[in-house]
Amino acid sequence: MAYPFTEDHDMIREAVRAFAQDWYDGGKGSEKVFKSGTGFDLNAWQSLSQELGMAGIAVDEEYGGAGLGDLGRVVVMEELGASLCSVPFLMSGGIATDLLQSFGTDAAKAMYLPRVAAGKITPAYVEGVDGITLDKGQLSGKITHIAFGNAASHFILSFEMEGEIALGMVMAANPNITVSTETTMDPTRSLSSVEISNLSLDDVKVIGTTDRAHLQTIVDRSFITLAAECVGGAQACLDMTLEYTGQREQFDRPIASFQAIKHRCADMFIAIEAARSAVLNAAVAEENEKTDAALIAKATATEAFFKVAGDAIQLHGGIGFTWEYPLHFFFKRARANKSIFGTPEDAYDRIASGLFGDAA
Amino acid sequence: MSDPVQQVREEFGTWMKENLVGEFACLKWRGTFGDDEAYPELRKKWEQKLGEDGWVGVGWPEQYGGRGYSLPQLVAFNEEYARYGGPGRSGHIGETLFAPTLIAFGSGAQKERFLPGIRNGTEYWCQGYSEPNAGSDLSNIKTKARVDGDEWVLDGQKIWTSLAVDADWAFVIARAEPGSVGRQGLVFLLIPLDQPGIEIRPITQITGGSEFNELFFTEARTHKDNILGDVGDGWKIAMALLGFERGASTLGQQMIFANEVNEIIKLAKENGKARDPIIRQRIAKAYAGLKIMRFSALRMLSTAESGEMSAEAYISKIYWASWHRDLGELAMDVMGSDAEVMANGEFNALQKMFLFSRADTIYAGTNQIQRNIISERALGMPKEPRGTKS
Ligand SMILES: Cc1cc2nc3c(=O)[nH]c(=O)nc-3n(C[C@H](O)[C@H](O)[C@H](O)COP(=O)(O)OP(=O)(O)OC[C@H]3O[C@@H](n4cnc5c(N)ncnc54)[C@H](O)[C@@H]3O)c2cc1C
Repeated sequence: MAYPFTEDHDMIREAVRAFAQDWYDGGKGSEKVFKSGTGFDLNAWQSLSQELGMAGIAVDEEYGGAGLGDLGRVVVMEELGASLCSVPFLMSGGIATDLLQSFGTDAAKAMYLPRVAAGKITPAYVEGVDGITLDKGQLSGKITHIAFGNAASHFILSFEMEGEIALGMVMAANPNITVSTETTMDPTRSLSSVEISNLSLDDVKVIGTTDRAHLQTIVDRSFITLAAECVGGAQACLDMTLEYTGQREQFDRPIASFQAIKHRCADMFIAIEAARSAVLNAAVAEENEKTDAALIAKATATEAFFKVAGDAIQLHGGIGFTWEYPLHFFFKRARANKSIFGTPEDAYDRIASGLFGDAA
Repeated sequence: MSDPVQQVREEFGTWMKENLVGEFACLKWRGTFGDDEAYPELRKKWEQKLGEDGWVGVGWPEQYGGRGYSLPQLVAFNEEYARYGGPGRSGHIGETLFAPTLIAFGSGAQKERFLPGIRNGTEYWCQGYSEPNAGSDLSNIKTKARVDGDEWVLDGQKIWTSLAVDADWAFVIARAEPGSVGRQGLVFLLIPLDQPGIEIRPITQITGGSEFNELFFTEARTHKDNILGDVGDGWKIAMALLGFERGASTLGQQMIFANEVNEIIKLAKENGKARDPIIRQRIAKAYAGLKIMRFSALRMLSTAESGEMSAEAYISKIYWASWHRDLGELAMDVMGSDAEVMANGEFNALQKMFLFSRADTIYAGTNQIQRNIISERALGMPKEPRGTKS
């Protein structure tokens, strides 16, 4: 067991890996999700959250979770990423959990966290600070590109209320909310638009309030989960590449013996290990360094995944370009991860603002 | 104050604050990358000062005059040293490369003979591995060693030997079995440099300075006992020494890197480059690299004692070397057209860093060799074929 992991983490890793490999089955899982057109797999999510109890990995123990924080989540997400599982862990076990734990009142935590942990509800976050308006007790606005929006049982909406930012929990099945699944390049993780029209505040349970800066901080920190998915996905791409180049022969020798191929694989490995360090660093960072570390993890890991997935296609030759071979799903997920919750450039820009003590 | 790591920080931090003053004040942040020739005599005096108070070889076992520091303590020690701008250590080849090798492979008498000189800052070492025809392919070395009475006699040539001019001894690998090839028949010898059989010629570097040298052996002599291990053990010992190049000192090195990044940020604020969005991105990336290196080092150190190379240990060298080379380029781009000008007729610290960092991707295993090592050992890919000449 290597630093910073403990035995608990290793056990969780094994459990999730077994689940994910079974589900994924050499790419067949992604193909099934593609064919379903939904961009997520409800059965897989139920199994992961309800049977394995993984949705609550970062939920505090007093609310029925495993209390394993960011590091526990990193383990889960790496394994899910390695098999490209189409489950809304990112939303429910990730950001929704963080919003509840950071901003929820005691009552809100007691009401929702145990259900999140048990996989009974699956909230997704809808960032509405600039897109949802409150007028005469009613919320309206349309927010696009919500990951796993069509898989959510609830939404956590952020919106301005009386000079503060309020976070409100609402059932997804509310008649004043229309969820439309978008058609996406990456068919294995759905994006949806969420249109809210004249939603009465009475239907919304305000779980807590905060300000823009603090909200941004917590959202930023939840990127660690996304970054971990990237590390897992990238590692899977490298593993496939090593296997393929080891057996594919050209010029009477395995292509893995060509130095150009070896060096490209070495570069993939370097990118992955650097990203892994960035992610682990963020997961265990002290409070005062956490946000920066999360931004670094997000930028580094999303870039690494994209580079590695692209390299993997190149080193596979023609077969890497086919639909049948699963690499394209990884490549598309890697592409999508570069722009979900902002781009690597956005992250670097924010880091730079911190370093220069200004805003660009 | 029971936490032993905190104790190191406080005790040694205080010592640095109180001692890197007066005549030593001018040494702050000096003598590091590309600046190795700054104040050679004063830096040796500084080394002796460290030694006097027991701050050289803090990681060695107590029986050899060290403090037996654990890895976390060593990390703290190196970080405190760099935090106060501690100068490049004249004795680092002896302390961090040779001494651990000596402790692992030397006899009792050898340890007694050589460790105190390193610890007291009175004897300095250099590394005689590379030869004109043995660089990346180190096993191709040709320098010959034979026994004559109670002495070893050496003939041949070493090259790129850093700091040889300031050193008293060299550890050298040489071929002791005539007709042997590759890794067989090698010896690891300790040679005093001040003798008629040795000529040292400085080589002028890209920086204009001459941190490295050629070493010519013409019947150079050393006592028969000055061999580590036996005939035939040379390769194994030489490689073990390279293993010590990784380790706790990388944390100190990273503090120096951090200081360089801070200098670049300061300059960008002053000259307005801080408003250039592309420069901002590059600086943020450099900063991210620093954090990644630090955490990789912590991961690496946590497994170092197991003796197995962990994944992140394989990337350490190529990652920091490439990062530092890029930082040099960034520094020049932040300087802008001023980068061309040698104010006062000399390179400033960033210009020196820019030039010297081109060596980072060459010494201690080039980037290409690192990629070979990663692909073959970490990823299990096929080995490079050898030519058929030898
Ligand atoms: C500043 C500095 C200080 C040094 N200090 C010391 C010292 O104190 N003691 C000491 O012994 N040595 C020292 N060296 C030498 C250093 O270890 C060698 O320069 C290094 O090992 C490379 O060897 P070479 O210069 O012969 O280059 P070569 O081995 O000839 O390499 C030339 C180029 O070919 C590439 N190449 C070689 N083999 C392969 C391969 N199998 N696959 C792909 N590419 C390959 C290399 O990457 C490089 O780009 C120092 C070097 C520098 C620059």
